[in-house]
Amino acid sequence: MTTKSRTNLVLGLAVIVLGLVAIFIWVPMDTGSGIVEKSRGKLKVGDALAPTLAFTLLIGSGFVVLWERHRGAAPVSVSIRSHLFIILTLIIFAVSLSLMRWTGPIAVESFGLGIEGGQHYRELRDTMPWKYIGYLTGGTALISAFISIASRQFRLSFLLIGFLMAVAMIVVYDLPFDDLLLPPNGDV
Amino acid sequence: MNDALTYIWLGILAVFEGPAMFTVLSLGVPTALVMLFFGLLLGIAVGATPGLAGPMAMAVSLPILISVFGVAPDALLPVFGFLIGIMKGATVGGAVPAILFNTPGTPDAFMTTLDGHPMTQRGTPKRALKIAHFSSVSGDTISDIVLFVCAPFLAVMVERVLDLPEKTALILLSLSFIAAVMGKSLGKGLISISLGLIAAFVATGQTFHPRMTMGSDTLSDGFPLIAAVLGILILGEVFKNIHDMWLGQQESARSIVEQDKEADGLRTGDIKRILPYIARSSAIGCLIGTLPGVGSTLAATMGYTLGKARHSKLKAKDAKGFGDGIPEGIASTEAANSAVSGANLIPVLSLGIPGNAAAVFLILAADSIGGFNPGPSVFRFTANEVNSELVIAFGIFTLMAVGNLLNWTIGGVFMRSMGVMAKVPNRILLPVVLLVTITAIYVQETSLAAIWITIGFGVLGFYFRVLDISVLPFVIAFILASPLESTARQAFAASGGDPWFLFKSSVAMFLLLLSAIVVIYGIRRNNRER
Repeated sequence: MTTKSRTNLVLGLAVIVLGLVAIFIWVPMDTGSGIVEKSRGKLKVGDALAPTLAFTLLIGSGFVVLWERHRGAAPVSVSIRSHLFIILTLIIFAVSLSLMRWTGPIAVESFGLGIEGGQHYRELRDTMPWKYIGYLTGGTALISAFISIASRQFRLSFLLIGFLMAVAMIVVYDLPFDDLLLPPNGDV
Repeated sequence: MNDALTYIWLGILAVFEGPAMFTVLSLGVPTALVMLFFGLLLGIAVGATPGLAGPMAMAVSLPILISVFGVAPDALLPVFGFLIGIMKGATVGGAVPAILFNTPGTPDAFMTTLDGHPMTQRGTPKRALKIAHFSSVSGDTISDIVLFVCAPFLAVMVERVLDLPEKTALILLSLSFIAAVMGKSLGKGLISISLGLIAAFVATGQTFHPRMTMGSDTLSDGFPLIAAVLGILILGEVFKNIHDMWLGQQESARSIVEQDKEADGLRTGDIKRILPYIARSSAIGCLIGTLPGVGSTLAATMGYTLGKARHSKLKAKDAKGFGDGIPEGIASTEAANSAVSGANLIPVLSLGIPGNAAAVFLILAADSIGGFNPGPSVFRFTANEVNSELVIAFGIFTLMAVGNLLNWTIGGVFMRSMGVMAKVPNRILLPVVLLVTITAIYVQETSLAAIWITIGFGVLGFYFRVLDISVLPFVIAFILASPLESTARQAFAASGGDPWFLFKSSVAMFLLLLSAIVVIYGIRRNNRER
């Protein structure tokens, strides 16, 4: 058995197990009504029916994948590096979105208190320059990090590209529209 | 007949007498037409940029459009105008990098490289681009005419013949068809469908308990449609492309145009020689376009293959053939892939079943704005009171016809100036698309949690692509899950709780039988391909 053919085997088994766990544990415990309910003497479809059928289809598709593999389906493979890439991607998003969320408030707390007479970020989130600080730092970090990954090297010019693109987004999304809120200003 | 003509006229008026964006010589210029124009230009630019695609531009534009025009019924035609413009422009623009740089701007333009780029290398890029433009816009126009004629008739027929059980069976048939024809594996198509349904069922239902949320407040309203669609379609694609670049699997080198060897520009007789190929490929494109989920790449491949077979029979022994850089090769591909776009809207407008990513975004727009629910109920030719949805439908047809006119006139000139877009490196472009997408999500949902949900669907989309699972069945199932469940609930209740309600009607039985045949076809096709 090759490594490649194992991927389809794992995929088929994983969706079968997921389907079984969902049908027998998750769906019954996490839905408000059963498969079929009786209400005022009439039979009604319950909330559990649709997900149960969808998970049954998932189990069936898992068996079809296993059968196709048995019949010699084109093998696929997921390398460790693919998982590493996704972990790296999630780390970049976590860092970038944290910068987006917190650099504005930190800047306000550090510098804004004296300037604005004791205001917090929430009151200043629609005020220049405070409202752009988070988006600019987070956007710059996000773009430059992914350019670095795609190029497999880091250059300072990537930071500049990221910054300019974040500025361009502000010009497109924020400057012309009064009612649009850039991240994170809608839920701080 | 008079009712139909009245509604067509009302649709035309809705576009031309709608709110004016500005005035020229004291004449108001309708907002919908201005939006169509700019959408078309954006679509051509996006189509001409390898790594970007029409759906990406539609995705990031939608939140801005909704913010600008609001969610009143007046917003429908301007928003649809912009999205239709992108859809039409992108079908034309995809040929530009294929011809100039041997890099297809969109996947369905791959076959265009086979004859388009050799023509560029011989020093006739302008001739190749003009052939591509003429063929693409011809295919698109023919496809739109098919849509205008077929969609209303199909919808009226469906509304007359299909009751609740039949509509349930029809959605099941559509899902089976999409699972069977998309991708190389029926099993993986079914995984995609079932996960799409499951994701859509989270937090919906009729009791106060939001189902399958595991107690999470963030999920208590379910997954936002836009987050799921953009995540799996756009972020998943961007992640996969950056992943391939990271692993060094994607080449970025593009071939350089060789020196001029022949006189450039259209020649006498060029149009005459490509017309039969355009007609054949347009018919293929329209036929494939009416089937949900099949896609323009297959149409382009079939158009090219049949055109090649015909040409090799007719050509002189020493004449150039397909693949050597001849106009017939470009025409066969471009007419076929463009003829899919209009016909692809037949299932969405007449049945409410999206057939491709562009149709998904039209549904998203309609869903966000309200006042227009694509499906058979739209085409009710009521005489006593005006059916506003039908007026919008004919407004959409009017916008498509005007879009074609714009494509015929300014589209070619703009398209030929877009060669520069192919020079933007993907390693810079794709990270920018990431920021644009998450910004678009945030602008609409104003919640960082929605961004994380989008990223989650992006990761799912990435693994789908790595595992060779088609993503479009997931998206279509996600959209159809709610109508499927509500129609089945109503049909079950109407039948007095009969669990066999789907098997009581001959039409529903026929549709279910077709579903079974389609699944068997999928299995047999997979076996044959092995």
